[in-house]
Amino acid sequence: MSYEPGYAGLGERLAPRDLIPSPRHAAAIWARNARVFSKLWKGALLPTFLDPFFYLLALGFGLGTYIAHGINGIPYKEFVAPGLIASAAMWSAAFETTYNVYFRMNELRLYDNVLSTPIEPQDLVAGDIAWSATRATIYGIVVLIVVAAVGLVSSPWAILIPPFVLLGGLCFSVIGYTFTSLIPKIDLYSYFFTLGVTPMFLFSGIFFPFNQLPGWVEVVAWFTPLYHLVEITRGLATGPEPLQILIHTAWLAVVTTLLFAIPVRALRARLVP
Amino acid sequence: MSSPGDSPPAVLARELSKNYGERVAVDGIDFEVPVGICFGFLGPNGAGKTTTMKMIYGLARLGRGDLRVLGMDARRERRQIKARIGVVAQETNLDGDLTVRENLVQQGSYYGISSQTAGPRVDELLAFSLLADRGDDRVHALSGGMKRRLMVARSMVNQPELIVLDEPTTGLDPQARLAVWRSLERLKRQGVTLLLTTHYMEEAARLCDRLLIMDEGRIVTEGRPADLVREHVGREALELELAEDCEPAGLLTTIGDHADGHELHDGSLTLFADDAEELLRSLDHDRFPTESALVRRATLEDVFLRLTGRSLRE
Repeated sequence: MSYEPGYAGLGERLAPRDLIPSPRHAAAIWARNARVFSKLWKGALLPTFLDPFFYLLALGFGLGTYIAHGINGIPYKEFVAPGLIASAAMWSAAFETTYNVYFRMNELRLYDNVLSTPIEPQDLVAGDIAWSATRATIYGIVVLIVVAAVGLVSSPWAILIPPFVLLGGLCFSVIGYTFTSLIPKIDLYSYFFTLGVTPMFLFSGIFFPFNQLPGWVEVVAWFTPLYHLVEITRGLATGPEPLQILIHTAWLAVVTTLLFAIPVRALRARLVP
Repeated sequence: MSSPGDSPPAVLARELSKNYGERVAVDGIDFEVPVGICFGFLGPNGAGKTTTMKMIYGLARLGRGDLRVLGMDARRERRQIKARIGVVAQETNLDGDLTVRENLVQQGSYYGISSQTAGPRVDELLAFSLLADRGDDRVHALSGGMKRRLMVARSMVNQPELIVLDEPTTGLDPQARLAVWRSLERLKRQGVTLLLTTHYMEEAARLCDRLLIMDEGRIVTEGRPADLVREHVGREALELELAEDCEPAGLLTTIGDHADGHELHDGSLTLFADDAEELLRSLDHDRFPTESALVRRATLEDVFLRLTGRSLRE
């Protein structure tokens, strides 16, 4: 069947025009979310900084005391800290693109209003994802500052961490948004977290490396975005290997681009039936 | 006001259809909305009015048929159409995270209107909706009627040529409803084309210059409200609650062609005539006893009942 111009359901072909966001319109969505955040940021920022701080204390300093020789030559607390920058970004993006998007879509019914203006679903998805990544980066930077202030960063390359966290944030956001757009049942979100996000957080290489584990563990981790962002942040914080950084960056960029079409289609099918 | 043939219609539909799965929501309808009037879609819930509106303002995909809004193709030129229209949806969908004023400014930004440019326009709209002193309030602090007025104001931010209002006063108390009607009448005077759906015949009769009546996805009739009433039922109506032992058939025979028509439902007989008062006087109350009699003008509700056999409201 040749493609029908205009809308398309989940399984149908979509014209490029209907997939590629208009930057101007996506920016208006980004700005709305930024405006709301700017009213609430003081309350929101504190817990986000506290969370990784406690992990750092308990595991980095607490557990780390028992790991005498560090990991791969790095003291344990320096091994753990950069990973927590990545995970702060991840938790932020996961929450923003699930509960917050659900709230905007279903409780406030904002998306119906937005889609009756010149904004199209792809702009909405792009703007939301860009905002989620921005927010994730803000949180990542806060943790980076804390970690650096406590002296757990040994390489000046760490200054480059924020843009990579932004890319990682985009990737986490696309994945979360894909989930929300396909499954807008809020009671199922806890599964997203307990079966997806939390295991990924624990087995992403933040708290222990893969050297001594069976090979397949690292293979599985390779397919998750947090693993790649952690490799980047730890690399930059302790002394990067440029080729490795490039590979992990490419993974994040490619996956983000490939997945973007899914929430756009899903949102079109749901909001413009 | 320009006469109908002057400019292309604000909305043009030809054999417009839409299904949701197996269910036929809109069944091949044709209509033309001239520029500059208030055009109504009157019909009960489930008639297909909202689906038609959503196809016009871009929240529903077209099924079959053609739809042109302000001369543009509703399938291919959605952004361009949406840039020039305003929408007041049936469900309140204001931004609860922003204040009243911010809602309007933010809406402007979706149309590419900067905050600075939007400022004076927003002030104007707040004044128009009698919300000038509520600008910094959060949306949840407003009453239902105020929220609805804000929705109307928000639909005007981009100075649209056409505004679609889907059941704008449903769920409002009479006072709030009146306030919304008044603002819509002010809007009409500004020359904006209004497309209104409703299941309230008073609303349709009061606001609409032309309307069409929709039922089960099809258009039942179309025209000016007063013409439709005269054409399908008559000028006035006499509503009779018949007593238990009153035989309607006999009564109707006696009246003959003094009445233009009648509707009989569950012992309630409505007769239509040019002068219902006189018709009432001419009745033989001994032969045909009635519990009550009401003389009123005929309405669009009567027209709907006559044409479909059902009531506008469930």
